[in-house]
Amino acid sequence: MTPKNPDKGYVAILGWSVNAINALENFDRRYVIVAPSWAEEYAKEHSIPFISWNFEQLNECSMEIAEQLKKEGVDVAIPLFEETVEWAGAINSVLLNNPRFMGQSLLFRDKAMMKRRAQLGGIRVGIFEEAHDRDDVIHFLKRVNQALLKLDGDPNDPIHLKAFNKAGCLGHYVIRTPDDVANIPDEEFPALVESHLDGWEFAVEAFIKNRKIHFLNISEYVTLGYSVFVPATPDLEKWRPQVVAEIEKLIETFDIDFGFIHPEYFVTSDGKMYFGEVAYRPPGFNAFELIERAYGFSAYQALVMMFDPKTTDEEIKAFFPREVVDAKGHAGCFGVYPRRRVISELKIPEATENDSYFEFHELQSPMQNKVPKRSAFGTHWGLVYFFGEDPYRLRDLLKAQEELDYYI
Amino acid sequence: MNANAEPAATNEQTRLLQEKLEHAIGQLEQASSFARLNFQSPVLELAGRMLAQPGGIQQLYALAPRLDDAELFDGTDWAEPGALLPSLVHNTLEQGSKSLVILECLSELRLLAIAKGVHKHEGISVEQARHFLTQVLALNLSYQFGLANETQRTRLGRLGDGLQALFRYLLEHIGFENILGSLIEEIWRILAQRPIQVDGVKTMVTQIALTLTEGVGNIGEALLGSDRLISALFSPTQGCLDDPGMEVYLLRLEVMDFPTLQREAYGFSRAMLDVGLVSDYHAGYLRWLLQHEQSQLIPDALGLSSTGLDALRTYQDLIHKLIEEAIHPQTAQTVYGLAMLLERGILYSPPIAPGLWRQLNLQPSAQAKTALQTAYGDEVTPRVRLLAGVISVLGQPLGVGQGNNPTCQSARAISMWSYNDPDFLLHLIAQAARFDNIQMNFEGQLIASAELPPGLASDIPLDTDPVSIVLVPHLDRVYHAMGEACVGRGEDPHRWINPEFHGWWVGREFFIAVDVATGKMKQDYTHYLAQFYRSYHPLYNGNQPVIHPQPAGIAVTDSNAQFVGWHAITLLRVALDQGEVMRVYFYNPNNDSGQDWGNGVVVSTHGHGERFGEASLPFPELASRLYIFHDESIPMQTDMIELPTEEFDQVQDMALKSWAALRHPTVA
Repeated sequence: MTPKNPDKGYVAILGWSVNAINALENFDRRYVIVAPSWAEEYAKEHSIPFISWNFEQLNECSMEIAEQLKKEGVDVAIPLFEETVEWAGAINSVLLNNPRFMGQSLLFRDKAMMKRRAQLGGIRVGIFEEAHDRDDVIHFLKRVNQALLKLDGDPNDPIHLKAFNKAGCLGHYVIRTPDDVANIPDEEFPALVESHLDGWEFAVEAFIKNRKIHFLNISEYVTLGYSVFVPATPDLEKWRPQVVAEIEKLIETFDIDFGFIHPEYFVTSDGKMYFGEVAYRPPGFNAFELIERAYGFSAYQALVMMFDPKTTDEEIKAFFPREVVDAKGHAGCFGVYPRRRVISELKIPEATENDSYFEFHELQSPMQNKVPKRSAFGTHWGLVYFFGEDPYRLRDLLKAQEELDYYI
Repeated sequence: MNANAEPAATNEQTRLLQEKLEHAIGQLEQASSFARLNFQSPVLELAGRMLAQPGGIQQLYALAPRLDDAELFDGTDWAEPGALLPSLVHNTLEQGSKSLVILECLSELRLLAIAKGVHKHEGISVEQARHFLTQVLALNLSYQFGLANETQRTRLGRLGDGLQALFRYLLEHIGFENILGSLIEEIWRILAQRPIQVDGVKTMVTQIALTLTEGVGNIGEALLGSDRLISALFSPTQGCLDDPGMEVYLLRLEVMDFPTLQREAYGFSRAMLDVGLVSDYHAGYLRWLLQHEQSQLIPDALGLSSTGLDALRTYQDLIHKLIEEAIHPQTAQTVYGLAMLLERGILYSPPIAPGLWRQLNLQPSAQAKTALQTAYGDEVTPRVRLLAGVISVLGQPLGVGQGNNPTCQSARAISMWSYNDPDFLLHLIAQAARFDNIQMNFEGQLIASAELPPGLASDIPLDTDPVSIVLVPHLDRVYHAMGEACVGRGEDPHRWINPEFHGWWVGREFFIAVDVATGKMKQDYTHYLAQFYRSYHPLYNGNQPVIHPQPAGIAVTDSNAQFVGWHAITLLRVALDQGEVMRVYFYNPNNDSGQDWGNGVVVSTHGHGERFGEASLPFPELASRLYIFHDESIPMQTDMIELPTEEFDQVQDMALKSWAALRHPTVA
């Protein structure tokens, strides 16, 4: 364990992530993990500073945790998961004595409000609407396609439906026909519906302190929901100046003093950026691990530095490498979904296993032979990691995985 | 492996893999204990692929110390290299999942690094690591010469190649002469203890024979030792010198004249008594003699002395019947047990012969049958298997081993009864085999094994002799029921259990070196030693030899003299060896009694006056590890002799530096 520096901040991490805790063990900040009680015994066994908290309960006791952390001497709370973002906002309002953080966190948690706020800030967004039931969705689908001057019988342009408050691909549906609407479960409503943007989708990880971007990574999606890699190809990296400008707009619009944001954008062929959504927490698909693999610094430690009010500029300067040029290579991962309906075993495709870019996988052997039907973009069965020097070769390799059977 | 692959491409491949492995190890090295699991599997995955790369083994060998220090093995069965068993390696390689196979391979490389002195790990020395690898190599000779089977290839894919490369690499460093030499030495050492179970030894000898016929390597002097072993199994006589197969051999017997037949008999008995292994031909020969009315050659074929010959003549019908029923090529090793049974003269004890007649006709219960079949298959019927086992146990009381089961108490009891109370043992076997029940009394209370839940041996033991397979589950239950009856008495339960469990001859006085309440060494430990010397040392007990075998307890220590656990042994004799050293001869139910207990205490199994199956230590050395013994309460008229108090101090010192290192007596 790295000795803790008493001159640095004391942070509370909201949510349980072994990789995050491991990174903190090797960092000089004091920390405490705030997570549900199921992790308590494990934390105790391994001497991990721990406070048990149920993030699902919302009642008059909710502020207790803020008071408890304040008494403990914690300087700031850091959310790890979507569900803990507003908790962090509420807690930081108390710890930092600034009620603005609460309101800000609510913007991050409601996709419709988020879009509206972005639009108010002059950020380009697609057409969107709040949908409270299936009729709203069908109505939106029709209106969008009418606007595109489609005739009856022409194939529709798809629209997207996203649950208000779910992370990543959870609750994300692509809708082309009214039939697709029938497949959406009731619990996804209310939801955001938006027009499809025919652009190149990518994500950004931005580390912010004192309203300044200190490190900006562009994550290139090969296929949404399947694969991502960092740093991006030169083709995408050439938009970096525009991306930086867009993030600066976000910082202004959302009034972000510090922390970490993970927005998604589309860039159209004429170079216009469309804002998709933004999250105030580490991204899914283990992007932090990919950044660490490519650049060699711990993104979790960087996250903590950004939140810690006692972080100095010199410290930040010394911590981050230069973007893109300092990367040792390109790291990517692929989320595996079984392609067959009936499977019996896990078998890494030979082509993958023999590829020098292949690193390792986190796949488990199947527990049952029948593959459940995938709803929405669904969750993958595990990630397969790749690392190599040539981003184009990596991209093609990730793309090729989509056509391979990992479960046979 | 594609031989045409361009070296440059391969190097590039290796370089990329190396970078990835390096990163994964770096991640593991900085991982906190709780996160280690997340970082272990990438390392294993990458190491597995590295293993299959040309030159990958060398890379991994260089990384082995780092992998060990990064706690790659932490949380797995490989965490303690000192506690690994060479015999388990084969199974892991044959049946383990891919990641376990990789872990096993990396562990071997780590042990090689330890054996070469380039790495250290607590709990295992250079010699132990070398010994371990030697054994692993010996037990997995098939990997050396590409004899790995096709199923394995399918299961492991390219890793299979890596596995062979690994064994070749280990061999280069350990040396073939070296393994064959030590393998053969090892076999001789084990055979010198005349175990009943010789399946492992037979497998090893067969492996060696196969290896030699493949004409591998220059093995030099080791050949001499192996020759005798191989011939004892496959070609002990002129008639089967070329290992012709049983059918051909039996045809050859048909045309032999009497002197030639007699030479066959001498050849068989000589090989058997010399080596301790019985050839299948030997069993075939004995059966042939009976079938062809040549039974006058049986004594020569068994190598009997005048005692054995007399016993055979006295109980000829019984012995012929036993041969007919129990001796088959599949039970050949029983021939040795039969010869020893005759030599022991126990047939002159009235209940033995009728007891054996009962055994001859005894049909095991369904439960006993299943147990025997599970362990031995159905080459011969369970009845025959058990009968053969009974003959072996009665012939070789000290050849009983507990197998890989936590049942030293039961194994010791079987051995002790065979040694001292064989008709009782026959009774118990009959009860257990026929009724699935044995009954014993404990302090007036009847205990019936059939009514008890399983003890330590919850599964049927599979790796031991047929008698143990039938009897141990029952004995184990009874032993634990007795233990339960003693709960709450605040003293070591063996005080009461030992006499009731084993027999009337166990001394009623009980001595223990440990304070049961605190677990520490007793304050009056030297008084305890004085008792032991007064009871067992011929120079201080009026030159009274041990009359009956006595159960005793030892604190087993490993070769670093660290406490391992409490263990049951039997004290058999105390006598001077050829060097005028007073030694305690004892029986250890472990399968191999030759153990290094650390700080120079090395248990001897031959060369110091031991009879087959006995282990021995100089009196003070044994005393230093002894923590429980029994004696009669009758005071001996030996108070006049002054006790060696200086020696007591040495013994106490040895105890305090080994098992009692963390059990120093509390000063009042």
